Amino acid sequence: MNFEAVIGLEIHVEMKTKSKMFSPAPVTYGAAPNSATTPLDLAHPGTMPTLNRQAVVYAIRLCHALHLDIDRELWFDRKNYFYSDLPKGYQITQNDRPIGKNGYLDVKSGPGMRRIAINRLHLEEDTAMQHHYRDYTLLDYNRAGIPLVEIVSEPDIRTGAEAADYVERIRSIVTFADVSTGKMEEGSLRCDVNISLRPVGADKFGTKVEVKNINSINNVAKAVDFEIKRQTQVLLSGAAVIQETRRFDDSLKETVSMRLKTDAVDYKYFTEPNLVPIRLSEQFVAEAIAGCPELAEAKYDRYIRQIGLSEYDANMLIASRETCQYFDALVADGSNPKLAANWLNGDIAGYLNKSNLTIDDFPIDPSRMAGLLKMIETGTISNKQGRDIFEKMLTEDTAADVMAERLGLRQISDIDALRTVVAEVIAANQQSVADYLQGKERAFGYIVGQVMKKTGGKANPGLASQLVKEALSHR
Amino acid sequence: MAYLDLTIHEIHEALVAGKTTPRELAAEAIKRACEDQNNAFELIIDQDAMAIAESLAEPEPDNLLWGIPYVAKDNFSTKGYPTTASSNSLNGYVPLFDATVIAKLKQRKAILIGKMALDELAMGGTGTTGHRGTTYNPHDPRHERMIGGSSAGSAAAVAAAIVPFALGSDTGDSVRKPAGYAGLVGYKPSWGRISRYGLFAFAPSLDHVGVLARSVSDAAAIVEAIAGHDDLDATSAMIANPKGLPQLEGDVRGLRVAVIGEIVNSPHHPIIKSKFEEILKGLTEAGAVVERVHMRRDLLDAIYPIYITISCAEATSNDANLDGIKFGPSFWGDTYEQAMLKARTNGFSELIKRRFIIGSFALMRENRDMLFVRAQKGRRLIVEALNEIYKTHDLIIVPAAPNVAPRFVDGSDKLSEEYLIADNHLVLGNFAGLPSMTVPIGLKDGLPFGLNVMGRAFEEATVVNAALAVERLTGLKNLRAEGGVAR
Repeated sequence: MNFEAVIGLEIHVEMKTKSKMFSPAPVTYGAAPNSATTPLDLAHPGTMPTLNRQAVVYAIRLCHALHLDIDRELWFDRKNYFYSDLPKGYQITQNDRPIGKNGYLDVKSGPGMRRIAINRLHLEEDTAMQHHYRDYTLLDYNRAGIPLVEIVSEPDIRTGAEAADYVERIRSIVTFADVSTGKMEEGSLRCDVNISLRPVGADKFGTKVEVKNINSINNVAKAVDFEIKRQTQVLLSGAAVIQETRRFDDSLKETVSMRLKTDAVDYKYFTEPNLVPIRLSEQFVAEAIAGCPELAEAKYDRYIRQIGLSEYDANMLIASRETCQYFDALVADGSNPKLAANWLNGDIAGYLNKSNLTIDDFPIDPSRMAGLLKMIETGTISNKQGRDIFEKMLTEDTAADVMAERLGLRQISDIDALRTVVAEVIAANQQSVADYLQGKERAFGYIVGQVMKKTGGKANPGLASQLVKEALSHR
Repeated sequence: MAYLDLTIHEIHEALVAGKTTPRELAAEAIKRACEDQNNAFELIIDQDAMAIAESLAEPEPDNLLWGIPYVAKDNFSTKGYPTTASSNSLNGYVPLFDATVIAKLKQRKAILIGKMALDELAMGGTGTTGHRGTTYNPHDPRHERMIGGSSAGSAAAVAAAIVPFALGSDTGDSVRKPAGYAGLVGYKPSWGRISRYGLFAFAPSLDHVGVLARSVSDAAAIVEAIAGHDDLDATSAMIANPKGLPQLEGDVRGLRVAVIGEIVNSPHHPIIKSKFEEILKGLTEAGAVVERVHMRRDLLDAIYPIYITISCAEATSNDANLDGIKFGPSFWGDTYEQAMLKARTNGFSELIKRRFIIGSFALMRENRDMLFVRAQKGRRLIVEALNEIYKTHDLIIVPAAPNVAPRFVDGSDKLSEEYLIADNHLVLGNFAGLPSMTVPIGLKDGLPFGLNVMGRAFEEATVVNAALAVERLTGLKNLRAEGGVAR
């Protein structure tokens, strides 16, 4: 029997607002435990939530990017349950009226694209971080109250690859929109996968398994593929899939059972009485959308249509928001876009890969880099000389022209000066000239090589070759 | 002269005239607090209060509250001073911040000398359920009668003239009911008028900060000092705080007063009834237009069940933070469930547990529509019925309670015919968030009783003005109990 996988994703995105969702405590990552807290974050009696305006702006940006209908009134609900990481005994979330409803995201599916419907996007707050030890658990409330959006897809995804592409596209949107760092490994983007199988053509859903704890986009695909295989085997063996929560074990590359899911928990929702409904004006919504930085898709189009980059180069660039920012800065500084893309996707990417760095840690700032590219573009230095200067600039904060001067690396592009050298070389290599005139093409290369040698490699190779050809043609 | 026996306005004059000092007042208030016979205090703040009092040298003629001692119900967060809400679940809890109202009074140089007992977590109307036992009514030295709650200690301290005013909180009638039983002015303005930041939440959609004082003008003046928008309370109103209410004249000419027939006709003691009618007559003679209006009986019958459903549901959520993990007494265990179970089992009285169970039950998926959602719809219908009355009338005036303070042994079955409407209607002001003030109108065998004035939302001036007129008619200003303090 052939099965079809039915996959829905719930993605939690931590937003990089300055302060928390409902308290003035700073949003931090890696700060000393419990240093970024206020009495509200520890649910002290008498504290009251006040809504973070920037979090709403960010949520609107994402709603717009995901084609969701934006509710013009903000309502919050309490989700009540007892748990050690939940200081108030309830989480403030949006149950009845999420800020965004009924959107979609197109993902890559085989050779084409498929439209994945998005059910909702809502605002909520994060819980405290738990550190479990053998005999005790430590609680860090720095994370408690960090603004989150949860993005819930419809169960429209069918394969691991689609799931991974969906997450990658969400990650791209939240990072390009400047809403989140979008780092799965740090937990600022978290993905829960709901997956069930059903016979191809069936309408009814099979028993659903939830997979948590997936820490990279690659592992989204792996977890889904593993789970499809596992559930297929269970069903083919005549057994039933058990409704449970599993986690992805990164070392085993397998999902393992965490807990059985009995009847869904009753969260006893009701409207948060300490936050009266807030009306969002059209102007507020419009400004939130207008304030959104250019997203990857728009950049891709612009790079190809306006700047004339290749699809390959454009794709390489939009893989990271920071790389795009660097590229845009180079172009803004007057660099030739194609040359800039070549360098970013070539030498710079190579260096970062080798050193295990990201573009944020790249030591050469865009204006200095633009200076280097300018020298290459104008022929002041050769590409090869450019690489030598680049190597030096990695360790020393110096302008490219100063560095070129110091290294004596300046291309000779002065036609008269080069003509003199060419004349000298021809005079000294009459045998080669004779060979060339007899049709031995190799001799031409030798003569040009001698010109390069005589100038210590500084001659503009194109110009040298042209002048040699010119000189020989007069023979 | 015992200046503490006077109203705030009178004490202020004496302070400005140099007849007394903040130091003298604070010392006397602390002395009276130490002699309290009514189990009203959770905490007496002596040394710090004296230090503040001694630092106040130059009288401020424009600051009515300068050097005035006061007390606060022990569910207002006070930085550095234990705050328990009279619950074992908060024994030893010392807040890290001041409630906005506490901070505002500090800024006005009023002097906090005590934190007052309440019904545990402000749930209850008897003053008998706090973790330190029953609070008594100073008007009944034999300690047979309740003072009412939940702001029991606050009411007892003002009635016994330990201080001239107190902060309370009012979710159902927790300021206005004890005010009625203690012969005080109990006043809560509109929902959103006073910041609730720092008030331990019971049921936020119903919770109000309120004040207890011994004159209408005093009560209005305190509210003027503590009201106003607060960025820390997202529900606090942006509407400007009205000024000059304490100086109103009590002119009721042309005021259209509605008397809800179904409330007045429910069982009340004849003395209360006749006194109430006498006041209405007085108001009419003073130029008010007093008319009987009707309200659907089924809506009035539903007040208490709706109140219990909504308030318990909200409370079970608000008090979920009391789990022994972050503050308050901890008991720990092998699992977090054990730790929470022990803290909550030990922390709450049976009464509180019952309320949490009622609240949880009402919110359960299978009951939610039948109980919680239905209660909210009922609340909405009641608010609409009130709004209908306010289309043609400026105020609603009704007796505050069916009788004087009940005996402990009598109890009061809230659902009985005797009490269902007459003892529960003050909740109307919480359902709709309306300004509502209880003022004393008479005494029966030395025990006070009052009426309640309730106006449109954010029209506090109308309420204060009418209450001043009532106070003038009765002459019952600055009513004090003799039995409260041994002196």
